[in-house]
Amino acid sequence: MNGPTRSRRVDHDALQARFALRVASRLSEQSEKLPHDLSERLRVAREQAVARARQLRLTQPATATAFQVSQGSVALGQPPSGWLRLASVLPLMLLVLGLVMIQHLHDQAEIHAAAEVDAALLADDLPPEAYGDPGFVIFLKQPEQ
Amino acid sequence: MANDKELSDFLKSAEKRAFKRTAYAVRDEDAALDIVQDSMIRLAEKYADRPVAELPLIFGRILSNATMDWFRRQKVRQAAVQNFSELGSDAEDGDFDLLESLEAVDGSWASQGPPDRLSREQTLAIIDAEVSALPARQREAFLLRYWEELDTAETALVMGCSEGSVKTHCSRAVHALAKALAAKGLKP
Repeated sequence: MNGPTRSRRVDHDALQARFALRVASRLSEQSEKLPHDLSERLRVAREQAVARARQLRLTQPATATAFQVSQGSVALGQPPSGWLRLASVLPLMLLVLGLVMIQHLHDQAEIHAAAEVDAALLADDLPPEAYGDPGFVIFLKQPEQ
Repeated sequence: MANDKELSDFLKSAEKRAFKRTAYAVRDEDAALDIVQDSMIRLAEKYADRPVAELPLIFGRILSNATMDWFRRQKVRQAAVQNFSELGSDAEDGDFDLLESLEAVDGSWASQGPPDRLSREQTLAIIDAEVSALPARQREAFLLRYWEELDTAETALVMGCSEGSVKTHCSRAVHALAKALAAKGLKP
């Protein structure tokens, strides 16, 4: 029962496709006869689109390179040279050196201050042992008369 | 990835059909040109790195979206929706003799001399007008499926509907065209 029905359906689909493709081919023929000004405007639009794609292709590698530099690899589209690698490490080295120097100067200043106090104590008329005397400490805490 | 030449060749092969398809929809040559141009630029900006084989489908989708955007901008969406709603009232022409119409179309091209036959130019113009007169969704399905030669699944993807709807739209479009062409005198 289904055989003839299905066969008719297939025939109908084939017929429909054949008719549609015939009409479509006439549409193609018709569309090829577009007025010259329309064809020219389409050509210009096409050329603008292709130029835009070309422009984007040219700008995209530059953007990618900038990104790679910002990530610290300094690739620039080829293996990094020694100088470029050194240039990327140099700021870090300067920072560490600066911190070490600041620490060194700080230590020197503390030593210098301690030496000055020691020198003052030793050069004073009062013997250093006096500072160990409890009575002298109380005397120092008393307000001046 | 499509290079400049491949992109240019694709656009060259598609631009006239794209223009006609859009012009059928918006019925304004300048607007159709603008839409095609915008679609070309959008394809070039966003999808030029895709393989060439994918370009027809992507361009078809971009063009359909751009056309809908135009309708929205023109604030005539209501009219478009009205066109779409016509699909529901289409009568089936199950008893229409498609074979007779096919022979009519074939026959009208078989010879061009006799004075009692329509001229080739006139026939092309009639077909153009009848395609233009189809409801929007039927026309879109018909053009994508048989003119752009997308398969049913691709057509459904571009139109944003099911494959069953595509088949229905195409069938109704073919029957409507066959009937209209026969009524215009394209008979053997």
